[in-house]
Amino acid sequence: MKVMERVRESTIGRSIWRVPDRATERDRAAGHWANFFLHIYPVKMRRKEMTFRYTWFLGVASVVLFGSLVVSGIYLMFFYVPSPASAYGDMQNLQTEVAFGQYLRNVHRWSAHLMVLVVAAHMARVFYRGSYKSPREFNWVIGVILLVLTLLLSFTGYLLPWDQLAYWAVTVGASMAGFVPLIGETIKGILLGGDTVGSATLLRFYVLHVAVLPTAVGLLVTIHLWRWRKDSMLDSGGVDE
Amino acid sequence: MSDQEPVIVEGKRVLGVVPGTPPGGERKVLDEQEPVMVWPHLLVRHGVAALVVLVISLLLGLFFNAPLREIANPLNTPNPEKAPWYFAALQELLSHFHPMVAGVLVPTAIIVGLMALPYMDRNPRLAPRFRKVAVATFTLFMVAWIILTLIGFMFRGPNWGWVWPWQEWYGEL
Repeated sequence: MKVMERVRESTIGRSIWRVPDRATERDRAAGHWANFFLHIYPVKMRRKEMTFRYTWFLGVASVVLFGSLVVSGIYLMFFYVPSPASAYGDMQNLQTEVAFGQYLRNVHRWSAHLMVLVVAAHMARVFYRGSYKSPREFNWVIGVILLVLTLLLSFTGYLLPWDQLAYWAVTVGASMAGFVPLIGETIKGILLGGDTVGSATLLRFYVLHVAVLPTAVGLLVTIHLWRWRKDSMLDSGGVDE
Repeated sequence: MSDQEPVIVEGKRVLGVVPGTPPGGERKVLDEQEPVMVWPHLLVRHGVAALVVLVISLLLGLFFNAPLREIANPLNTPNPEKAPWYFAALQELLSHFHPMVAGVLVPTAIIVGLMALPYMDRNPRLAPRFRKVAVATFTLFMVAWIILTLIGFMFRGPNWGWVWPWQEWYGEL
């Protein structure tokens, strides 16, 4: 620790951390605000809101799973081409030839299922805690959008292995879009890029899965956390207990 | 005194004991409403929670392989034809109601209803026992949805007929 203090107090250390002295709470708050990774947190929170009982830590679990999915997903992207001619072969190659390919695919798959569960449980926990009440209404709305995006991320990823499981699950799922009155067939056409699941669908789902949806989730999570921090010390005007 | 053995308490030599109460009062009572520093109090907990979640997902990957069936074949429809598990409730509803209802109205109503929830429920109370209507409605919806998901996921076999999961298994992850 002595070495770390010396580093912090050096010229370079001061340029990086800016607040080298962490003796008092005020210093620590200043250090907190000067840190990119910590500034998404409030500086102070009520003691009871930090307990396991209060949140079950489902929000942070969702973020961790999303992070783990991004990391494992990027690794998988190196070995996968989204075309019906190569997708399935790439999956087999990934599982047999690529170092840790099978393992990272497993982690990606199970983390995705877990994330759907955890995000849904997070919503239920927030509901029973009453944490969606004024002034946090809009953050709940963002949370609902994030739940829908999580389902879409999982659904678009489901097609990518291009096996029987993927193909028919997406065929069933996409057929539901066709039932929307008047514009149903149009929506289905845009989603699938044709009448049935094919090469256009695979490319569309891939682009949605690796670019569009993760960016949207990342942006909305940022807003979600920013609002959480801003509202962290506000009362909902209600009386607890 | 000087020729006696020193009294050692927790590695420190006790020089004397002062009678009376400590200046900060007796034992400090933790105030639940008191704001405390996020760093370290919350960060430590979040760190532990993150590690637990990571360990669970990393262990799942170690012990269970992700499924990979034979290559996609548009000419060979499997029976049963199953949606991913999180759409199993919708698929189950589709087998009972008109597609307009199960495939369009219900999902739209759920998403819109969830978004509208904080604007409809203007009761400021937080504890569940003062929010009986909201809690009962939400719980009913959740339980129904979980049951429908389980039925669609585990209890449906060929031609969407009823099966017992301990006899035949058609759930796919």
